[in-house]
Amino acid sequence: MQRRDFFRLSLGACAVVLGSNAFGLTREPLDNQRVIDIAFPQKRPLITYSDRPPLLETPMEFFGSAITPNDAFFVRWHMPRIPTHKFIDQYRLSIHGAVKNHTYLSIQELKSEFKAVEVTAVLQCGGNSRSAFVPTTSGIQWGNGAMGCAKFKGVRLMDVLKRAGLDKDARWIGLNGDDKAAFHKTENFKRELAISEINDDVIIAYEMNGEELPFLNGYPIRLIVPGMYSDSWVKMLSNISVTKEYQELFYMDKAYRIADNECECETPDNLAKKTKPITTMNIKSVIAYPKNGSSIKVDANVIAKGVAFDSGHGIKEVLISVDDGESWKSAELGSELSPYAFREFRFAFRAKSRGVLTIMAKAINNLGQEQPKPSEIKWNRSGYKYNGIDSISLEVV
Amino acid sequence: MKKTILILLFLASILLGDYEKDVKLPSVTFPMAQDEDFKAIQRNCQWCHSHGYILNQGKQSKAFWRASVVKMRDVYKAPITQQDEQIITDYLFRHYGK
Repeated sequence: MQRRDFFRLSLGACAVVLGSNAFGLTREPLDNQRVIDIAFPQKRPLITYSDRPPLLETPMEFFGSAITPNDAFFVRWHMPRIPTHKFIDQYRLSIHGAVKNHTYLSIQELKSEFKAVEVTAVLQCGGNSRSAFVPTTSGIQWGNGAMGCAKFKGVRLMDVLKRAGLDKDARWIGLNGDDKAAFHKTENFKRELAISEINDDVIIAYEMNGEELPFLNGYPIRLIVPGMYSDSWVKMLSNISVTKEYQELFYMDKAYRIADNECECETPDNLAKKTKPITTMNIKSVIAYPKNGSSIKVDANVIAKGVAFDSGHGIKEVLISVDDGESWKSAELGSELSPYAFREFRFAFRAKSRGVLTIMAKAINNLGQEQPKPSEIKWNRSGYKYNGIDSISLEVV
Repeated sequence: MKKTILILLFLASILLGDYEKDVKLPSVTFPMAQDEDFKAIQRNCQWCHSHGYILNQGKQSKAFWRASVVKMRDVYKAPITQQDEQIITDYLFRHYGK
C-alpha cells in the first residue's frame, strides 16, 4: 500500500469514528490559551506550545494595536537545530548560482552599501487559527495569535540580486536559513520565489520596530514578503541560490499547500487531488478587547478594539454586530500605516440588558471581499487560511 | 605585559562583540503520561521536537496517531522501526486517545 493511500485510509477511519464531523467542519478557533511563566530571550512570557523548536503564540490582548511589540511577537521555527551563538562580524549572506559573481555580503555591508527601506507588514502563519478545523488537521493547533504586524527595515531583495548580477535566463531563487534538521535525510526549510514576483516591497530585514531583529524572529536577517503567508519569510537568511529552473523542494511541493479548487476545500474522505501553494493572505480581523468571556456592566460605555488586514488591497470597512449578526454598524478605523499592515478598529457600545452578549467583527477590503461566517469555511487537510468572522461572548452584569 | 594586554583586549572584544548574541533558550517541561512505553517516545520523538508538539494535538483517534507517527517516519525521515511505530501509536492512543 502506498503511503498516500494509507494516509487517506487513516483519515477516512478517523472520519468514521467522529461521525458527523466526517464532512469537515469549522468552529471558533481556541482563544487565549495559557501563557506560561517562562520567558524566552527578548520575549515576555507567551502562549508556549514547544521549546524545541520554539513555538510561541501572541495573546489576543496585543491585537488592539496596529503594531505588535517585538517581545510579544509570535515565534515559529521548523527545525530543532538553531545556532544560538553567532559571530556577527563573520555572518555572510551568500548569493550564488545563475549570477555573474558569487557574492558574500556581511550585515555591515547590507546596512551601509544598499538603500535602506521600511515596510510595515503583517506576518501570519498559514496555519494561524488552525484549531478552528474539525476533525483536527495535522499541525500546531494555533489560536488566532500566530500573527503580528511590525515595521521592518532592511534592503530590497532585488538590489541584492542586482549586486550579484542576475544571468539573463535566471528565473527562480531558492532561500535557506541557518536552522537545521536533526537528521541529514530530513529536508531543510528551503523556499523558492519566482524572480518575476519580487517587487520593491520584498526586503531583507535587519530591523523590526526600530530594534535589531529579535533572535527568535530570525536574527540577524530575514526575508519580508508583504501580503504572503510567513512560510515565505525565511528566518536567519544565509543562502540565496539563483536558478534557471524551478527546483523541487519539499517545503514548496509538499508542505504549505491547499486544495486547488475554487473553495480551496476538501473532505477527510475525499481529499483534493490537485493542490497549490497557499501564497497570499485572505481578509481577516480579530477582536482583542474586551477579552472573550469577560464581564461588562449593563449600560456602561464599552469600546471594542481589534485589527483587520488582507494581502495588501487595503481595508475599506470593519462592520460590528452586537445582536448575533442581525444588524451591522461601521467601526471607526485607525490610520492606514501601509496597505499590508494591521488596520486598527474601535467600536463604542452600551449593553442594554443583562445576560450574554455576542460581538462580531467582519472586515471588508477595497476589492469588496469580506470575511465569511465560520460555518461557511470549508475544511482543508492542513488547516490553512482560516479567516472566519471573529466573535466574542461577554457576560453583561 | 604587552601580550597580556593584547589578550585581555581580545577577550574583551569577544565579550563585547558577541555577548548579546550568545542566546540561551529555556527548556520547558511538557509532562507526558508515564508508563514503560514512554521510553519509545523518548528515543524516537525528541530528536526533532518537544513533547509539546504531541500534547498540542489534543485527544485523537488511533488512526490519527498512527498517521502522525507514519508521517514522522516517511515524510520527515525519523528512523522509527516498525516495532516502535506500534509501541508509540499504542502509547499515544492509550493516554491521548478518544
